[in-house]
Amino acid sequence: MNEFMDKAGAHREEILERLEAEGGVTPETVRKIALATGVPEADVWGAGKFYSLIREPGRRVRVCTGLSCRVAGAAGRIEDLERAGESREEVSCIGQCDRAPAALDPELELIPGDGTRSAVLPDDTALPVNLGGADTDGYAALSKAREAGPEAVLDEIETSGLQGRGGAGFPAHVKWRAVREQAGSERYLVCNADEGEPGTFKDREIMERRPHLLLEGLAVAAATVGASEIIIYIRGEFRDARRSLETALKEAGDHLKQFNVRFANGHGAYICGEETALLESLEGKRGMPRLKPPFPTENGFRGKPTLIHNVETAACVPFIVHHGGQHFRDLGRTGAGTKLYCVSGHVTRPGVYELPLGITLDELVKTAGGYVGSPMAFSPGGASSGFLPMSLRSLPLDFPSLDKEGSMLGSAGVVVLNDTVDLVQAAGWQTRFFDDESCGQCAPCRIGARFLRNACGRFLADGDPEALLHVDDVGWEMEEGSICGLGMVAAKPLTSAMKHFPDAFRRRR
Amino acid sequence: MSERFTIKLDGRSCRAAPGETVLDVAGREGVSIPTLCHDPRLEPAGACRTCLVEVAGERRMQPACAFRVRPGMDVTTASERIDRHRKVLYGLYMADHRLDDAGLPEENGSANMLREQAARNGALALPPVNASRTGRPADTNPYIRFDPELCILCARCTRYCDEVEAVSAITLTERGASTTIGTIGNAGLLDTSCELCGGCIDTCPTGAMTEKKSYGIPHAELEAVRSTCNFCGVGCQVDLNIHAGRVVKVASPPPGETVNDGNLCVKGRFAYDFIHHEERLQVPMVRGRDGELHRASWEVAIRRAADGLLAVRAKHGADALGFVSSSRCTGEENYLMQKLSRAAFGTNNCHQCAAT
Repeated sequence: MNEFMDKAGAHREEILERLEAEGGVTPETVRKIALATGVPEADVWGAGKFYSLIREPGRRVRVCTGLSCRVAGAAGRIEDLERAGESREEVSCIGQCDRAPAALDPELELIPGDGTRSAVLPDDTALPVNLGGADTDGYAALSKAREAGPEAVLDEIETSGLQGRGGAGFPAHVKWRAVREQAGSERYLVCNADEGEPGTFKDREIMERRPHLLLEGLAVAAATVGASEIIIYIRGEFRDARRSLETALKEAGDHLKQFNVRFANGHGAYICGEETALLESLEGKRGMPRLKPPFPTENGFRGKPTLIHNVETAACVPFIVHHGGQHFRDLGRTGAGTKLYCVSGHVTRPGVYELPLGITLDELVKTAGGYVGSPMAFSPGGASSGFLPMSLRSLPLDFPSLDKEGSMLGSAGVVVLNDTVDLVQAAGWQTRFFDDESCGQCAPCRIGARFLRNACGRFLADGDPEALLHVDDVGWEMEEGSICGLGMVAAKPLTSAMKHFPDAFRRRR
Repeated sequence: MSERFTIKLDGRSCRAAPGETVLDVAGREGVSIPTLCHDPRLEPAGACRTCLVEVAGERRMQPACAFRVRPGMDVTTASERIDRHRKVLYGLYMADHRLDDAGLPEENGSANMLREQAARNGALALPPVNASRTGRPADTNPYIRFDPELCILCARCTRYCDEVEAVSAITLTERGASTTIGTIGNAGLLDTSCELCGGCIDTCPTGAMTEKKSYGIPHAELEAVRSTCNFCGVGCQVDLNIHAGRVVKVASPPPGETVNDGNLCVKGRFAYDFIHHEERLQVPMVRGRDGELHRASWEVAIRRAADGLLAVRAKHGADALGFVSSSRCTGEENYLMQKLSRAAFGTNNCHQCAAT
């Protein structure tokens, strides 16, 4: 046991799950857990109060207030519940943008709305993830990877050009090698299934439709970097996805027997999709991102080398093992491989479409059945990517092209807004999201996000652009001074809207 | 591993050792980098962001308090970028802070480092963000006051409570703009594991954690007199803070200067009321035939005690005597006490009140 674990108490990792089992944070539940685990009461309290799914006990419906759900009429849903006198909470995006407006019942099960089946492309074995295909449990890629050996697998991953699909687009092979080259045999593989970027729901679809593919990809990665424990940190609201993976794990049987595969629930914190916040959460703490360096490849879970991959990244691995890196790379257009693009908002068939990396918005929306109404703006990669005007509709949706525009591909959660939407309102919603989800650790994000939320709110209320004074300075500081990626992008929705849609921000009355 | 190397600091070559942070080297070289969340007793948190510097090859500015030096590293501590960063950062802090009539971070008696730094560096004027943070107004503990409107969430107090005292009575709680310093169920400190050491007050850079007894007395009007705590034999150094001829507060000297490294216990920090107490014994007293205590010289008082002890021994034997020394004595004093017991009076009946 390392120094860190001693200090934190050996049972610290259990406290969030225990709080969930006890129904949430109260002085009584916290005392009970502190007694059982040896973790100080204040630490259990402080950790529990961080997470929106456990910080207040009580049964209530959780209504999504993400952009796509807002656009689809979340306000009406909230009013209905209010009229019915039902206990409710307005929550950040719950990753059901294709089923907007979405809500969860008190057991966190999705309340079925219209069209609960997400749209995907039909079965096509030429696609690496192939959401529409059969999810077989043969684990042939794992056998092939074992025969080929780690170095051969690493070479194929490098050749494939696979970049992390969680948002940052970091080359996968660099991380794999970094972990593999660490001294010491205690290494971990963590699967980041805490999908929470508003507008994004691709990992959810992979877990529900292709759980074996994901488990196989994770197993190949673990075998290659020398990790024996695989931890899948899965968003707490994704009950269906977790059940799907648990079933698949049972079916996999002996194929995965060399690995210790386990699940950890998220407890309601967008920031835990940030890899170091996720690690803190796994260790039973408040999900506050760590300083980098050191990076998780060197100092990760329990202070040990840890490979953290997004669900989609891992799901691409079996195809690469089967067909070779070059084949995967060639499937892309301006970047390597295919990409699962989520599309929601004002399109005919919201869904997850696996297309060559680098397609344009128009091509994506065509796949999704076309625009609804007259398109005005789009977010290419979730809330973090801000808003872009339709004049950029022919931009390749890839990592570098969007970076150049001051936006990002991120998780490729594309949201389309037509001209019925007030862009200031939309920017306000996104700004509020980041304010609600800031961890509060560093001032640029904690105070900056609140400043932006207030500024937007004041402008919406009185129409005086004076309210927006210093938004640029604060946005700059959030990007420059914040600890983690959330703070760095939290001003994007507002600053990008002001940049690309200046007319919307002129004096209104 | 311990090979020393050079780094560049604002263009100057400086010696550095592996494991040191940029702030360590800068401190040694006399290069001033502002910090708020830094306390040398604590693991660097890099959370307040005031100490961000530019490191060649790093895209982002890095916290000097946490960033480890590497051979040949090139660090810039003053630039247009850093200046803009600090101005907006201080502006944000101030938008989330109680300000005085001059528009600067308020001082409630204790020094406020944010005030001093913002005044020196300049800050962007921003409207208040009105992020309400809860305090514990009903906390009846006699010593420690928490004022959330002066809190910058640097977490020095919670980290101190955990890392130095291993008490963990207080914690960061809630999230985002509502983040505050809390306890289980927002309980008063007396209902937590708090030992009332007051280290949170000592480490707080802004006066959000202050001493209730001396609240509001301006720090500029205090005169510090270095002394030794006499509650036990450790020899902790204390700074007696004098106002109008009276000790109104006891502070620990800065970390790294004295044996107690900036720490004190509840007695040393808060139990100073005896100093000016009207019943405090200040001169030797002996009881007269009238039954009252009368002022006496040390010679007379010691002779009186000795005579009494000798008379008991003469009448009942040495083992009728017992000697108990105080936990406030030093080891040397305890040694002398047992010497008195064994050698001078001839009994092994000696004890020390802190022994069990």
